[in-house]
This record gives sequence, C-alpha cells and structure tokens, in this order.
Amino acid sequence: MISIKNSKYLLLVLFYFAFIYAASAQTFVGKNIKVNIFSSTPVEDIKAASSSGAAVLIAQKQELAVQVNIKSLEFDKKLMQEHFNENYMESDKYPTAKFKGIISPKIDWTKDGEYNVTAKGTLNVHGEDQVRSITGKLSIKNGVVNLYSSFDVACAAHQIKIPSLVFTKIAEVIKVTIQGTLNPLNK
Amino acid sequence: MNKSKLFIYLFLVLLFLVVRASAQSADSLLNTLDNSKKFNKVESTFKATHIVLSHSTETQKKHDLDLRIRHHFGDIGGEFGSAHTLYGLDVATDLFIGLDYGVSDKLTIGFGRSKHDELLDLYIKQKLIEQQKDGGLPFNLTFLAQVGLVAREPFASTEFANYSDRLTYLIQPIISRKFSSRISLQVMPSYLIRSVSAEPNDPNNLFSVGFAGRFKLTKRLSFVADYTLINGLSRKENLVTPLYNPLGVGLEIETGGHIFSLNFMNSEFITENNFIANTKKSWTEGGVRFGFTISRNFSLFKSKNKDPNTKSTIY
Repeated sequence: MISIKNSKYLLLVLFYFAFIYAASAQTFVGKNIKVNIFSSTPVEDIKAASSSGAAVLIAQKQELAVQVNIKSLEFDKKLMQEHFNENYMESDKYPTAKFKGIISPKIDWTKDGEYNVTAKGTLNVHGEDQVRSITGKLSIKNGVVNLYSSFDVACAAHQIKIPSLVFTKIAEVIKVTIQGTLNPLNK
Repeated sequence: MNKSKLFIYLFLVLLFLVVRASAQSADSLLNTLDNSKKFNKVESTFKATHIVLSHSTETQKKHDLDLRIRHHFGDIGGEFGSAHTLYGLDVATDLFIGLDYGVSDKLTIGFGRSKHDELLDLYIKQKLIEQQKDGGLPFNLTFLAQVGLVAREPFASTEFANYSDRLTYLIQPIISRKFSSRISLQVMPSYLIRSVSAEPNDPNNLFSVGFAGRFKLTKRLSFVADYTLINGLSRKENLVTPLYNPLGVGLEIETGGHIFSLNFMNSEFITENNFIANTKKSWTEGGVRFGFTISRNFSLFKSKNKDPNTKSTIY
C-alpha cells in the first residue's frame, strides 16, 4: 500500500530519471572525427590526415571539446611523419592536440538546421595553450550533429620551432580542417 | 517512518548521482573516447639505420631507398699517422657504398660493397617487436642476417680452396630501448660464421656482444657510440697479431632526409663481417681514425598514393 506521502517520493524519483535522460540525450560524441593539416610553401605542399579524432558536445552548456592524437596523423611519406612527430610536435611528450570552448550563438539542439557558429576557448597544441575564437559550421539533422571548421595554427604561437637546417620547407602557418559527425550519447 | 527514511536516503543518493551526471564534463567524456592505446608506439629510437659501426634497430620506411656512403681514413697517430699522412686523411682504409630498401616499414633489404677484401654484402633486417608506451612492450627487437662475399683475387693459390671459403655469415638480434627522448640504448649479441680465420688460434666462429647508445644534444644533433666485445668471449688472448674490440663514437646530424655522421673509431673496416673479426688497431696506440657517413633517403613510388588528403606535392 502506498500512501500519498510515499508516492510523492516516487514521483521525485521518476522526475530524477527523466532529468538524467534529458541530460544524457543532449550530449553528443564523435569518435571518428577527420582532422586534416595542410602546409603550403612555394617549394612543397605537405598534407596529413587522421580519422580518429574525438569530439564531445554538451548541448546544455554549449560546450565543445575536440581532441586528436598527433601520432594518428598519417603522411604520404612515413619519414616525414616520423620527423613531424619527433622534431616538430614532440608527440611522445605532447601526445594530443585539443580544443575546448563554448559555442555561440545559442542553438536549439532538438531542431534540424544549419548554423554558422563561433567557438571561443583554448587550443592546446604542442603543450601550449592559445585562447582562440574559431569559426565553423554546425548542422543538425535527425538528432545528429555535423561539425566543420577550418582554421590556421601558427607554429610560433605553440612553440613549434622550424630549424633553419632543414631541406624540406614547412609553412609557418598550418591550415587545420576538422570535420565529423557527433551522435547522441547512449547511456 | 522507516519507509520514508529509506526514501529520503534513496533520494539523497540519487540526487548525488544526478549532480555527478550533470557535472560530467567534456573532458571526462573525451577521456572515455581516448584511443591513445592505438598510437602508443615509441618511434625514432635511433635516427638512422646505423649507429657508428653497428646497425641500429631502425629499418627503412616502406618504399624508401637509402643511399649510404661511408669512409674510414687512416690512423691519426702512431707509426702510420701524424703530419706525413695528414693525420690519416691521405689514407682510405675502407670505403663503403650501399643501398638499403624498405620492402615494408618493418623489413629492409640491403646491399653494399666495401673496399676492403672487395667485400660484397647482402642483408635482411626485420623489425619483430616495437617498443610501446603505457604498459606495452618495453623494448624494440630487430633481427639482422647478413652474408658477405670476399670478391678479391686470392693472395695465395691456397687461400680460397673452396668458393664457399669466401663467404661469411652474421646473425644478430638487436635489442634497443628509448629511455627518454634524449637517451636510447642498445645491445646486440651476434654470431659471425667464417670458413677460415687468420690464425689457427682464432676460432672460425666468433660470438660477440655489442653495446650502443644515442644521446641527443639537440633535436637534430646526437652523440652516438658503439662498442663490440669480442676478445675474452670466444676468442683467445694469445694471438700473433693482436686484435681489438672496435669502439666508435660520433656526431650524427639530421637535416630531414639526409643524415651526416662524423665518427672516430679504431676499426679500419666498415662492414660487420670485417670489423668484428679483424680490427687490428687500438685506441691507445694511435690507431683511432676519422670517418664519415653520408646517408640520403629517397622516397620511391610516391605517386602510388592517390589519397588527396595526404598527397604531398613538390613543385
């Protein structure tokens, strides 16, 4: 037999579960985010790509975090990849590059649509934090979020030194492109 | 009363959980997506496929061809050195030209020719184990097998009674570990099989243990050294012509695709099949000499990569 008083608690418990469900439904995660980098000089164009970036979007807080493992970036020339990891990115010491920020404007994550957004936050590359405001595109379709952004990263801003004693020329500003799908997190 | 107490208790527990759930940050979620285990291979234990005299655990990258030119000059001091030979620079005790090709990232085949004995050598080098960070395997293991053929004319009509007397074989497992971004160390036991030796007292087959290391001074400049212990292992001490353990030290400069090494060593010879068995000079008696290595890497079959995301273009 349930008294009125007890059923109030029961209601609270039910409300709690509804709340937790709502909270989790508004978190999106992506495991196979594509990250491309592009260095262009008059001597040589160098490209590298990874498809194992990770992204998390907490809808309520409009919080976005994207992370890529430096060693997952693949180059055409494996020797170049090794030099990239050892000489420039020091990926044994700084294994990941990461951006974490808040998206504006405010988005209704339940509605389909396309948005031009700006994410303000911190970009960490080579262990160096940079406060950045990065523009990108968001599209929502059937509860799935698509993310696209292209921005520049200056090597000097992240203490990535390009020695003068190098034959292969590397640009001082690297173009980074991020693209991927974020699905609602299933509890 | 008991029932309501239980509910209050339950409610508090659930409230705690809900606070935790909503406090779940992007960071902790990112950590659950972490795939770093897949990319925890330790790379560049050594810069080059060779250290000073010895091989390192590194192999050529797939479809990369390495042209390697090595030179050992004459004695800096002692009877054959000093100003008369410009401290050995007038003399070339050994010269080596070789090509190493990466069949895959882990398998390299190499071919080379030395001035001494006109030695032709052919080797295969296979990476078997790669060092990993965070609880993975703690070392690298590469296996090297080399065959050398003495191509010169015999000094005496009896010298190469059978053609197979010209052949020597080297079997060498190489174990290395990158201790930090600066320090890498290596040990390589090896077995050299010869048909003949210079003296009856010297065994045909020699067991030796090599030690090598790298200390990075800057990102592109390293101090490298290797030492091979032979005397006192399977070789007797009372040889007519004394033979020594080869010790080499060098500076290795990497410029992206090129590697230059400036070396000092007591061994006259360059290839394992020669220097392990026949090093006649000692560091203490002016037998140390200068040598250099030039290594140039070429990427073959670049055009095979059709992926527009990773295709690099040289103008």
